[in-house]
Amino acid sequence: MKNSATRNAVSKEDIFRDAEKVFSVSYVNLLREKGHDFLEQEYSGSTLTDSEGNSYLDCCASNATYNLGRMNAAIIGRFKEAIYETDQGNFVMPSQEKALLARKISGFVPGNLDCVLYGVTRGESMEAACKLARGFTARPELVTVDGGCYGESGFAISLSERKGKEQFGQLIQAVKVIPLGDIEAARRVIGQKTAAVVMEPIQAENNCRTADKSYYARIRALCDKTGAKLIFDETQSGFGRTGTRFFFEQIGVKPDILIIGEALTSGIFPMTAMVFTPELKGFFDIHPLIHLCTFGGHDIGCLVAMTALDEYNRLKPWENAANLGDYLIKELTALAAKNSQKIFSVTGKGLLISLRLADENLALKFCAAARKGGLLVNTGSVDTSTIVIRPSLLIKKEEADKILDIVNKTLQLI
Amino acid sequence: MSDKLSVTMNTKERDYIQRLFGKHISWGQVRYLRCAHLDAYERSRKGTTFTDAVSGERFYDCFSSAGCFNVGRGNTVIQDTLRDALDDYDMGSHGILSEAKVAFATKLAALCPGDLNKVVLCASGADACAGAIKLAKGATGRNDVITTKKAYHGHEGFSLSANGKDYYKDLFLPLMPGFHMVTFNDLEEVKRAAGKNIAAIVLEPVQGEGGIHVATKEYMKGLRKICDENGIMLIFDEVQTGFGRTGTMWAMEQYGVVPDIMFTAKSISGGVYPNGAVVYREIKQLTDYVEANPLFHTSHSGGTDLGCIVSSAVLDYLVKNKVWENAAKAGKRFKDGLNEIARANPGCVKEVRGMGLMIGIEYKYEFIGALMADCLGRRGVWAVFSGNAPQVMRFQIPITASMDEVEDLLRRINDAVKGMRWYLLFMMPLAHIPFLQKLFDNVHVQIVAFNLLRDIEDFFLGLFPKKQEVKA
Repeated sequence: MKNSATRNAVSKEDIFRDAEKVFSVSYVNLLREKGHDFLEQEYSGSTLTDSEGNSYLDCCASNATYNLGRMNAAIIGRFKEAIYETDQGNFVMPSQEKALLARKISGFVPGNLDCVLYGVTRGESMEAACKLARGFTARPELVTVDGGCYGESGFAISLSERKGKEQFGQLIQAVKVIPLGDIEAARRVIGQKTAAVVMEPIQAENNCRTADKSYYARIRALCDKTGAKLIFDETQSGFGRTGTRFFFEQIGVKPDILIIGEALTSGIFPMTAMVFTPELKGFFDIHPLIHLCTFGGHDIGCLVAMTALDEYNRLKPWENAANLGDYLIKELTALAAKNSQKIFSVTGKGLLISLRLADENLALKFCAAARKGGLLVNTGSVDTSTIVIRPSLLIKKEEADKILDIVNKTLQLI
Repeated sequence: MSDKLSVTMNTKERDYIQRLFGKHISWGQVRYLRCAHLDAYERSRKGTTFTDAVSGERFYDCFSSAGCFNVGRGNTVIQDTLRDALDDYDMGSHGILSEAKVAFATKLAALCPGDLNKVVLCASGADACAGAIKLAKGATGRNDVITTKKAYHGHEGFSLSANGKDYYKDLFLPLMPGFHMVTFNDLEEVKRAAGKNIAAIVLEPVQGEGGIHVATKEYMKGLRKICDENGIMLIFDEVQTGFGRTGTMWAMEQYGVVPDIMFTAKSISGGVYPNGAVVYREIKQLTDYVEANPLFHTSHSGGTDLGCIVSSAVLDYLVKNKVWENAAKAGKRFKDGLNEIARANPGCVKEVRGMGLMIGIEYKYEFIGALMADCLGRRGVWAVFSGNAPQVMRFQIPITASMDEVEDLLRRINDAVKGMRWYLLFMMPLAHIPFLQKLFDNVHVQIVAFNLLRDIEDFFLGLFPKKQEVKA
């Protein structure tokens, strides 16, 4: 054991110094540049408070995870009981927890997306989805659109538009990228070798980019024609964020596999899932335990997620997201018109809103200045010149007005 | 059925849960586990045991979710820590620092040997494996990776490519090119494969899923030397071997070899909240890379506030109780006991292998795996054969097990082996006919045959229902 094992860090400066030592100096500097150089200490509802007592209106919500706000009492209460009722469980076994949550998810997700495989991180569910599509169709190719962001694991990063991924050498093979919205390109590429077409119906990290409704319908038709499976990643757009339970309801196109993120538990337990059609489940019936995940389908997590889904059904946060989202987008668009040299565009849906600024530098300055004003926002990871606004879906009108006020003031500062 | 958990289940309720699981998750999985009598519904998870909600019988947990329960199941210290933490914490914000995150990472690094001082927090073993391989590839600027045959590192893109068993990969090709498989414990093969194109050598000090194969000291020291000579990153997968399982905090300590990168998960979670980590050496090549690419592996649900609070409590518990010493002591007795059983039954046991409380029995035939699981299940021992090697039964009980529990377990295993002799009297002569042995070893044949037997058994048991007592 090293000496540092017994040392106790106390002050913020000490902890930052430890962070530089154990993680990296450049990581901490990155936080400083963005104005995110504080210690998260307390949180509730739509705000978080740092170790020095400053409160922020949280418009990151940990990348659209805290859809029901922080520390939802019902979910926390159930979690506390669940700790003593169950534990992780032996992951290879069926359990009542896993079965009951699966039933609930199948009731929550529209259409015939009735089957479930649990994961831990958003990327891991994408891995499972690509594997299921390949396994079921016995075809190799994965087709995706440009500008995607699916996670940091093997398949996910191979499909993502992610700076620096060439550092990792040869990634998953037989991946083809087509431009979003270009149906001719899709026609050329999607064919008899295509296992799946993978996309986020709204690209949260890429200025909330979407295509015309007709594009998705044509992609669906192409998939039906060729036998390819359509995978939607709704990690960030799901669970009411865009004004409906899932964004695919608004574009009128149903995927064969849907990825749902940590919003499943409203950010209280690391749990994600891929949800898919009964047809596809046939693959897991023939090949049981072919894709394993130790922490996936964690029995405590299942109980936490069940209560979270009850809370989603009770609070229907998509209604508030639709109303306040429309209001915010309208007001932000007006604000952008007055500051057209700083904000180039306002895009998004519901409470997933993206502001495009002139460049990455300005976006970082915006984050830092907004924090000083009491608003926590982050830049998009694909389009780094954007600011993504994604608060709790339960914010009040006054909080929406506060967002507008701070954005307005921040624009004067940068 | 409501959303409430049943403390006990009657067969009707169990059938309903099975149907739900089959409808929404996988029928195949239900049938596969049922055929080996592994389809218990775990309740009252305490220490080294759980009870089956249907029969009410108590089982020793010899799998521990592949080594997740090193602090014991339902450990009240860990449970209470999590409960109290829930007054103030959730996952925290991805990418933002908190005292809990920094404190855990610092504590973990302090418990690692040598200059393994730097940490990347992750969410799971596969996630951490991906992080470790990305770090090695990024820092060396090389593409290729050497891994071992039978290895098991996970199911996401990087770790799946690194797995040493085709079964897990064949249906999902093409994966990442440049992964070379070498025979475990064969240094000459590594020497032939090593070169300036190799970014990393990845291995588990004790192959778990592969069938409990223990790396030799010469092999590990040899690997270190080959890596040093060729600028290759040596990566240890301590997901199953870490946190005391093998008799020391880390298996690497027993070899006196420090890898450049190691990754871990499972027991770090205390069995209650997922977490994982990559730990790497503070050497210029690695730190330069990470300083230039601080976001090379950002794990969204890795290193959460709650996860770090729980994992810190797990580390404190292990250190305070020196749980690895118990793993060493109980492990020695367990292994000796199994060896005695093996000597008394040369007809069915081929070998006993292991380190600490990570022990495997290899049978002479593959089909014995499912049979033995069934015989053990009937004697209150829940043990899983290796998916990768069905002839190997894995014994990974929570390492908090007492010596009395180990003795009791050995008695039950001994009984089970004796019980199996009756089956073998019948099966063995047939198993010597090559065609039939192939048939017996076929997992699909086993699923159909054993499920049929269970159906017949359930039918007769159904005629004489046993009343189950509710235990507190």
